[in-house]
Amino acid sequence: MNCFEARQDFRSFWRRELQPERRAAFNQHLSGCLKCDWAFRQFALSAPALHSETEPDRTGTVSRPSVRLQAQRSNRFFRESRSSSQWLSMVAAVVLFVTGASAAYFSVAGQNQTLSDAMHQPDPVVQLVSSDLPPVNSDLGQ
Amino acid sequence: MRRLALATRIGWSAAIVPDEQLVADALAGQTEAFSELSSRHRQRVERLCQRFFSDQEMARDLAQEAFLKAFAALATYRAEMPFGAWLRAIVTNVCYDELRRRKRRPEELVGDFSEPELGWMQLVSTATPEELVSEAEQRRESHDLAHRLLDTLKPEDRMVLVLKDSEDLGVAEIAETMGWSEAKVKIRAFRARQMLRKQAQRIMSAGRPRVVQ
Repeated sequence: MNCFEARQDFRSFWRRELQPERRAAFNQHLSGCLKCDWAFRQFALSAPALHSETEPDRTGTVSRPSVRLQAQRSNRFFRESRSSSQWLSMVAAVVLFVTGASAAYFSVAGQNQTLSDAMHQPDPVVQLVSSDLPPVNSDLGQ
Repeated sequence: MRRLALATRIGWSAAIVPDEQLVADALAGQTEAFSELSSRHRQRVERLCQRFFSDQEMARDLAQEAFLKAFAALATYRAEMPFGAWLRAIVTNVCYDELRRRKRRPEELVGDFSEPELGWMQLVSTATPEELVSEAEQRRESHDLAHRLLDTLKPEDRMVLVLKDSEDLGVAEIAETMGWSEAKVKIRAFRARQMLRKQAQRIMSAGRPRVVQ
């Protein structure tokens, strides 16, 4: 490869459009030709804006393929755990929790005769306040 | 439109309906046809806007503006020209107007580089060509610096450079798109490259790793 051919290939090299043999010849030429190497480095300064097909996000390393990969990993986790006994142990834990919570609730609620009684008992705060107030119509009669 | 609906219903790609037919349908009042046109070309239009403006929000806004203009001017479209080329002319003019509205960066770039940009500049001086291509894909600063470099060009020069290098258009096509003479396109291309080389040399000398004695 001569200098003219190498410089013609700058863009294709950047876009990864060269065949492997041609790419190897390009690399070999640049490693031995200081002028073309310098010219390629100058080209590389503007090439990201002119020749790259995608731009990385402002956040840096997070790119679409990574997000997709994470989603795939997450899906894989759910698929794998379903096939193993993890789901079973999770269900068992939930059942145990619900049973325990119910037992605790009914042990407290059992002090009242029925649930309805417990609900209709007057609020102690209301009782306390209303006992200090005068009868409702006491001023009207005078 | 019936064709489009039929194509969609039976599961064919909507791409079988040519752009020109969709334009005719849109002109007949079927707005879905224009939606199909815009979804077909949106990615390419946004990409072209990003060649001029690194801010992705701005690129999207300009793409939207271009589609609105295209919709308003749809009656002027003639089927002798591919719809994509007609749309590209609109996008190019929208971007050109925006470039002229913005104040150009001063030519002197050296001195206000960020740390990541300096890192990228040093890499450009030292890494192998293969490493440069891979690293540029990962590093946002490589794109930022490239845009800053292009920001120093005159709007006319930048238009020619982007259309020629990124869009692979010939001199005649650029002249037709911009409404300029071919001689003007050639002169602008020459000046753009000259200026770019000059700026790149400045950056390269600023980014060279310093020798500690």
